[in-house]
Amino acid sequence: MAETMTSRERVLRVFRREETDRPACFSGMGNVTTEGLSKLGYQFAKVHQDARMMAETAASTPKLFGYDCCILPFDLAVEAEALGAVMNTYPDSADILYPTIKEKVIHSPEEMETLHVPADLVERGRVPLMREAIGLARKELGETVPVGSYVLGPFTLAGQIMELNDLLKLSFKKPDKVSKLLEDLTCVIVAVAREYEKAGVDYLCVREMGATSDVLSPRAFKSLILPHLKNIFKALSVPSVIHICGKTNDIVPFMVESGATAISVDQKNDIVETRKKLGPEAIIFGNFDPYNVLVAGTPEQVRETIRKCLDSGVSAVWPGCDIWPTVPPDNFNAMMDEVRKYRR
Amino acid sequence: MASEERQKEILEKLKQAVIQYDEDQAKEAAQEALELEGLKANDAIFNGLVVGMQEVGRLFEAQEYFVPELLMCADALYAGLEILKPHVEELDLGVKGSVVIGTVEGDVHDIGKNIVKMMFDVAGFTVYDLGRDVPLDKFVEEQLRTDSDLLCLSAMMTTTMTGMQKVIDDIRKKNPKVKIMIGGAPVSKDVAQKYGADGYAADATNALADAIKMIGSLKDLKDEAEGKKK
Ligand code: B12
Repeated sequence: MAETMTSRERVLRVFRREETDRPACFSGMGNVTTEGLSKLGYQFAKVHQDARMMAETAASTPKLFGYDCCILPFDLAVEAEALGAVMNTYPDSADILYPTIKEKVIHSPEEMETLHVPADLVERGRVPLMREAIGLARKELGETVPVGSYVLGPFTLAGQIMELNDLLKLSFKKPDKVSKLLEDLTCVIVAVAREYEKAGVDYLCVREMGATSDVLSPRAFKSLILPHLKNIFKALSVPSVIHICGKTNDIVPFMVESGATAISVDQKNDIVETRKKLGPEAIIFGNFDPYNVLVAGTPEQVRETIRKCLDSGVSAVWPGCDIWPTVPPDNFNAMMDEVRKYRR
Repeated sequence: MASEERQKEILEKLKQAVIQYDEDQAKEAAQEALELEGLKANDAIFNGLVVGMQEVGRLFEAQEYFVPELLMCADALYAGLEILKPHVEELDLGVKGSVVIGTVEGDVHDIGKNIVKMMFDVAGFTVYDLGRDVPLDKFVEEQLRTDSDLLCLSAMMTTTMTGMQKVIDDIRKKNPKVKIMIGGAPVSKDVAQKYGADGYAADATNALADAIKMIGSLKDLKDEAEGKKK
């Protein structure tokens, strides 16, 4: 079947629950490929701190493969940096190493209460660079491909700026104290997200993988995390997605309750069950394994997996996490070809 | 015998303190254990605290407990351990091991590593925790410095996982007798074999069980070698 819509049209229609020419295949998490990087001649470690390089790298994936989106940034440190954390990009590494936080902001449970949120937060760290990169990506892709971005969920952000072990224990022992911190961080996240909206993103994904049921109980998710997520989604105006990887079957109703336009889960979620639980109206994105299938699998395995996602009832084909850079082009092409061919 | 009853009572209290993540109760029960004649510190640890931790492991697998609960149970256990350990005549599981552990360079995922580490602490190992995002050379350096029986590497990403191979190759050259164990979500038995590691475990309990076996065989080898010399 010939494609009759642009990627952007298709994706925006998915968020409005409208029919599309074919299933959309996109994401709200990073999609750098080594293929794109080598075509551009860029080293992965360098693309995080230069708006033009970031925009070009992000745009290379839809351009090379016809993927239905362009997503930037690629790391999880933007908000933490704006709060004063220090990032390590592993500048000397030729391998693909994802940036990490090397210097946290809160060094003891006492400092949780005195977290300083700078008044000029959105002028700090890489927030200005992100605005510029989003604008450049928009320009480069015109109206054909949607440009999306992501922010962290409050709990995951808290884990970036303080010792996660402390955060986890306190979320049980002193939930009020943690909740207060999450409230502060909610303001930070909303402020950053609003900048991205102003810069022109078509949709935003909130990544709250720190609160996966592999780590935190569904009970704690509901009482401690959900209220803050609700506040975030209330404040956003573009279509939004809540993403959580790992075990999520027990929390999908809360993810919907958060107020996000769509929910995103990974391969550990049983989509058939989730669809049954949430009904036909819910917009569910997922749920293939971006490494074991897309990178390590054969093109035939990729096709099978994509069909299985669609057969189980996802609203769009979407990876369980960042697409892993070393994805073989044949596999990427097989994925796109399969969504084009798919008949429900 | 009243004292036997009392022993049981204290052991149960230690066990429950761990399960209920009650640090104060763990300390109190540990004191009581020391004061009771006939109850050895060793028994208090292994038939009290450790039994509690085993139950916690079961609750974790059954998804009744999650990571925060697990960490708090560990705190209760450490609180009891701190009081009891100085009074242990000889802490012996048949082996007494030491381990260097860390998450490899480029990888900050350390929740799983911390759980594995805790199991080694519980079992009385001497643990050298290098933390997360550990430069590959550092593993080799620290293993050689401490002469640990065991080297444990954790990686949660497929790219950082390949760093393990480098560590293994390097250390094999410098210290062929150390036992190496790897783990983390992307790691499998096959990967462990391919990289030339001695062991792999899918979770913390299995990690400990395998480690004890490996060190056991290591000690047998040593004894044998020494026996021959004599
Ligand atoms: C929490 C989390 C984070 C947190 C980590 C916080 C922390 N301090 O640990 C944060 C938000 C920082 C994070 C960041 C990233 N993450 Co992350 N994260 C996770 C998540 C949701 C949970 C991991 C976890 O803690 N599980 C719970 C513990 C208890 O299980 P475990 O680690 O497997 O450990 C057990 C066993 O493996 C074993 N074990 C572990 N170590 C060892 C060692 C030995 C010797 C042995 C024997 C056994 C053993 O025993 C443990 C106990 O039973 C997973 C997805 C998932 N649900 O698994 C993704 C995941 C690991 N992350 C992923 C990614 C891609 C990233 C980022 C690159 C994202 C980005 N764009 O930047 C960054 C990486 C930054 C970096 N360079 O490190 C991917 C990795 C993909 C891949 N195959 O490579 C995953 C799998 C998500 C996915 N679905 O694809 N992440």
